[in-house]
Amino acid sequence: MIDATVADRPLVPPLPRRHGGLRAALRWRTGGLNGLLLLPSLLLVFLFLGLPLVVVVISSFQPNVLLSFEAPGFDNYKYLLTRAYYFDVLIRTIRLALLGTIVTLPLGYAAAMLLLRLSGRLANLAMMGLTFPILAGPLVVIMGWMALLPARGPIFGPLVALGLISPPRILGSETGVLISLVQFMLPFAILTLYTSLKQIPRELYEAADSLGAGPVQSFLDITLPLSLPGVLSSAIIVFSLGASSYISPHYLGGAADLTLTTLIAQFILATYNSQLAATAAVLLLIIMVLCMAGLVALVGRFIRP
Amino acid sequence: MKRIVAGAGWAYLGAIYVFIVGPLLFVCAASVNGAAAFPAAFEGLSFRWYRAILNHPEFIAATWTSAMIAAVSSAIATAAAFLAGYAMLRGRKKEDPVLSTILASPILVPQIVLSLAILQFAALFGMGTGLLGLLAVHTVHGLPFALRLVMTGLARFNFSLEDASLSLGAGQLTTWRQVTLPLLRPSLIAGFTFCFILSFVNLPISLFLTDAQTTTLPVVMFAYIESRIDPMLAAVATIVVVAAAAATLTLERYLKIRLVE
Repeated sequence: MIDATVADRPLVPPLPRRHGGLRAALRWRTGGLNGLLLLPSLLLVFLFLGLPLVVVVISSFQPNVLLSFEAPGFDNYKYLLTRAYYFDVLIRTIRLALLGTIVTLPLGYAAAMLLLRLSGRLANLAMMGLTFPILAGPLVVIMGWMALLPARGPIFGPLVALGLISPPRILGSETGVLISLVQFMLPFAILTLYTSLKQIPRELYEAADSLGAGPVQSFLDITLPLSLPGVLSSAIIVFSLGASSYISPHYLGGAADLTLTTLIAQFILATYNSQLAATAAVLLLIIMVLCMAGLVALVGRFIRP
Repeated sequence: MKRIVAGAGWAYLGAIYVFIVGPLLFVCAASVNGAAAFPAAFEGLSFRWYRAILNHPEFIAATWTSAMIAAVSSAIATAAAFLAGYAMLRGRKKEDPVLSTILASPILVPQIVLSLAILQFAALFGMGTGLLGLLAVHTVHGLPFALRLVMTGLARFNFSLEDASLSLGAGQLTTWRQVTLPLLRPSLIAGFTFCFILSFVNLPISLFLTDAQTTTLPVVMFAYIESRIDPMLAAVATIVVVAAAAATLTLERYLKIRLVE
């Protein structure tokens, strides 16, 4: 996630136009010494990510003693997808991640454009400020929200006391989760968009200016179209952060507002149903892949080759 | 008119920063408040909540465990990342997209799913939760971050220096030790530090893998918040924040490395 912000490298490098396939790539790369050097990291990913994920997928098809599903099959999936309670969890996960993305992108875009005008020491500090919450860890940030958001807390307390508003119920609601999600996503969005906006050549603006284009026209004709690849990659990053966020929905959402991540935790830590946990995990992965493909299709259409 | 627009822009940017950093700074400020509740009105500067941490040996033990797990996993991740990055960039201008996607894949998987996957994988071998699983998940989680930072260094590295060293009779290992590694030291240190911090503060990847003997600081904080949230916890959080900020600033100042460019 954060690596998107490091230098000018994209989060995940674009796939080659003509896939030679994994085997071709490995054959090409793994001549002699290179293969040996790649071995440790490929082994790490294979042993501690690839194989374990296969185990999760298999486990999601396993018989489930707790629910007396006695044969392997799709019973676990049927169970989660046909019950309104669990289906709502699925929809809520998508809704929160999508809403978070929709709110975060324009806020981050405007901030990134303004940050481009900073230079020198101040720009440095501004960039470090963005990484601050990432490095401090979301747990610390959530403690802040838990203290700030109660109806009689430091933010709303005075307004309620003055009778300006009625006590809002932000903590334990989806609004609370959304607020903290947007805050968590913003630095990632800003850093990705900043990198992308920075790559637009200044001369284009000078040319547009000399041809009599106003700021609005040069934004619409230069900035926006040229930054769309950046918008797409930050949308993907931000969406996947939202869908996989655990800490925000756990602490700020209500007990009934589960998302797939908190549902997985509940299955493991409270009801000890590891097959359903695996099923929820597979569903989460499928949702993420589908939504990202949707984003690519939607935004990709506007990107000029 | 122009000045009003510009002023509004800066005000907006300021508001965004308050939103992003505000909750964090609030926690830090609350930790030096003498009041007994969190949050509470300011009752005067006090470090009593920092002293209170000493009465909670579980926090101190978990800090050491976290630091150990972070150090070992970051060292392995950074070393593996160096080897992979070197293999991908040596003699080539661009990294292989398929390979880099595979090596970046741990960040694409939700952290809680990573934790679940290692849990169920370890169970296959009759292994329960504990240190080995935690080390595995922290290492694979750190790998993409280490790789990014090492690759930025490698992309700037002039590989013909290696050829010079080799042609002067130095072996491959001597060349690495005397030429390559010293020149890459800043990005290796950055990769290690970044991995270390991200491992140290991460809750979800450890969530299902800790046990009574081996538990990490975020998991202890997680369990503590379930029952109550008090200024002592804010003090623990502040120590973590200050340490992470100090590490980042030190890197920037003395090694001229930026985690973000």
